[in-house]
Amino acid sequence: MSEFSARGQRLLDGRHALPLPRPTRIIVGFLLAGLIGLTAYFLPLFQSASTPIVTSGGELINPVSGPTDPFTVLLLGSDDDSKFAGDQFNTQSMILVRVDPISKQATMMSIPRDLWTPIEGQRYMGKISTAYQAGGVQATIATVEQNFHVRIDDYIWIGLAGLIKVIDSLGGVNLVVTNPVMDDFYPADINTSSPYGYYRVALLPGPVHLDGVHALQYVRSRHGDLRGDFARSERQQQLLLAMKAQSKHINLADFPDIAGALNGEVKTSISLERARQLYSVLDKFDSDHIKRILLGPPYTSEGWAGDQSVVYPNWGQILPLVSQYFPQ
Amino acid sequence: MKAVTYAVLLLAMVGFAFGVYRIAGMLKSDGSHVQKPTSTYAQALPGKMFVAQGGAIYRFQNGTFTQLTEDAGWTQPSSSPDGTQLVAVQRHLNYSDVYLLTASGRVVQQLTHLQSSSVEGNHWAFLPRFSADGTRIFFAYDDKAPGTYEVDLTILSVPAGGSGRDLVWTVPNQYTGGDTDPVPLRDGGLVYTKYSIDDQSAVHSQVWLTTRPGAPGTPLTKPEEDCAQPALSPDGTSIAMVCRHGQLQSTELVLATFDAVNGTIGPEAVLIQGQLSASPTFSPDGQTIAFLAPVQQGGTFQLWSVPADTSPSPSAARPITQNVGLDSTAAPVWDKR
Repeated sequence: MSEFSARGQRLLDGRHALPLPRPTRIIVGFLLAGLIGLTAYFLPLFQSASTPIVTSGGELINPVSGPTDPFTVLLLGSDDDSKFAGDQFNTQSMILVRVDPISKQATMMSIPRDLWTPIEGQRYMGKISTAYQAGGVQATIATVEQNFHVRIDDYIWIGLAGLIKVIDSLGGVNLVVTNPVMDDFYPADINTSSPYGYYRVALLPGPVHLDGVHALQYVRSRHGDLRGDFARSERQQQLLLAMKAQSKHINLADFPDIAGALNGEVKTSISLERARQLYSVLDKFDSDHIKRILLGPPYTSEGWAGDQSVVYPNWGQILPLVSQYFPQ
Repeated sequence: MKAVTYAVLLLAMVGFAFGVYRIAGMLKSDGSHVQKPTSTYAQALPGKMFVAQGGAIYRFQNGTFTQLTEDAGWTQPSSSPDGTQLVAVQRHLNYSDVYLLTASGRVVQQLTHLQSSSVEGNHWAFLPRFSADGTRIFFAYDDKAPGTYEVDLTILSVPAGGSGRDLVWTVPNQYTGGDTDPVPLRDGGLVYTKYSIDDQSAVHSQVWLTTRPGAPGTPLTKPEEDCAQPALSPDGTSIAMVCRHGQLQSTELVLATFDAVNGTIGPEAVLIQGQLSASPTFSPDGQTIAFLAPVQQGGTFQLWSVPADTSPSPSAARPITQNVGLDSTAAPVWDKR
């Protein structure tokens, strides 16, 4: 056997592959090092993808068949400080959002937390905010679906610290504070072992850049405003618009921070892939094409149920509105 | 020799991996990245200016910033008519106080004492301004109704260091947050912002004029314009303000003529549209308006200037700073000296 044919045979055997030339090995080494650097940077993103935040319980949520189909998401916000045990929260904020990718129209409708309704799985009437405490997210979704005659495709739940982290990971938000937000009894219940304390909040009016803590104060304060919880609902919708505007400026390099902020702080039925689709849809939306609905009078009226201050629904007014903006 | 070469190569690769990690981090959107003003340079403006950032007051002169106070809750500076003193707010968790300072930032006198041992016993004081003759300080103060949730700001004036009575100038609409932005006039009147909530639960802000303490006052702008943060030109004949027209994410910077005697403003000219303009102030010669707005959408607030020109094709506004993240509720103070 000649020398060349013997070498060829070794190559064919694969037992003694030729070593790469030294410069190539060095280049490959640097490429691997770069890959390690990138992997380390995006590690929070990989961790969040490998730890699903889907907690819907599977068949509960209605599947959306295609990326161009309209869909409805229920946004839930809770006080989740140490006053509450486990997952026994009230949903202080409930916002139905319908997105139509084709017409590029969206509608946000805030549901008053004190709305007096039948609660799914319970034999009594109660404030709609207690549905989560009674039966978790499933009971909350069922309560909203049955009372409002609406189909919910997905949900997102976020707690206090989660909202702060998300907004901070976006780099804060810009919005116009419409009037002085003054509250002498703002709960001091974050990062504390005594969650029943309070402190004073004063957010001065005008255009501002808010970090997570101050944005939370903006959407959570209610004591000093004539409109009470309705003012808070309006500010929550405003914050969502501001977050949407802010998300236009994030890029791939921001994702690890955001994934790190979301990890463990948000519950949702939306997978990361679905979230990516949603982001691309919402990115094309102009905020002027987002209709905002608050269920104040004549849709609701304030009153008392026993010793509880509640909001009574006027279903004769609410259901036609829901049918118009949240068609099934 | 070979081992040394391998070690050097390995170190270089580790360094490369670290560099890639750092570079990836540098690619993050930096719209809200903020630098301390003293570590930046900016285009010089005539005269000097006082601004607030991160709990400190800075002087901006000849293109550089000088920190005048510690980072300790200081904000909303305003200068005396002769330019020798400042009045400013020091904000704490549950209260704030108004202080008299020298133009170089040294505390001369604490004008209010609003701290209390009980949380709800504390008070706020914001947005102080000298009267035109320098003898009184106007500011927004939360004159609360005990035992209620009502915390509405009212405009108060106190003597600037001397003795005399405190005067309550305005009566806020209840549970609206109250009245803000006092701008004392040369003839003794006051321009300010009043907030209201209409029958449809919509919040409105209007610029109001009142002639004396406790007088009912008259609106200068319409509710639907949602105007606030008024600033008067040095000669008192022009007014600049921001109006949001029901918008929640943008404002207009508006300039109009102002007649203090008849309590009217002339036709409004929009100088800046579609931005988040805030807290305008006039230059000492009245020819330019400084204001605060993000340079890029979603960014922090920077110092801008625009000619106070209502001609059909006015000069464009230009940003003076890029990444200092100024306190947008503290209007820049512009002195000629």
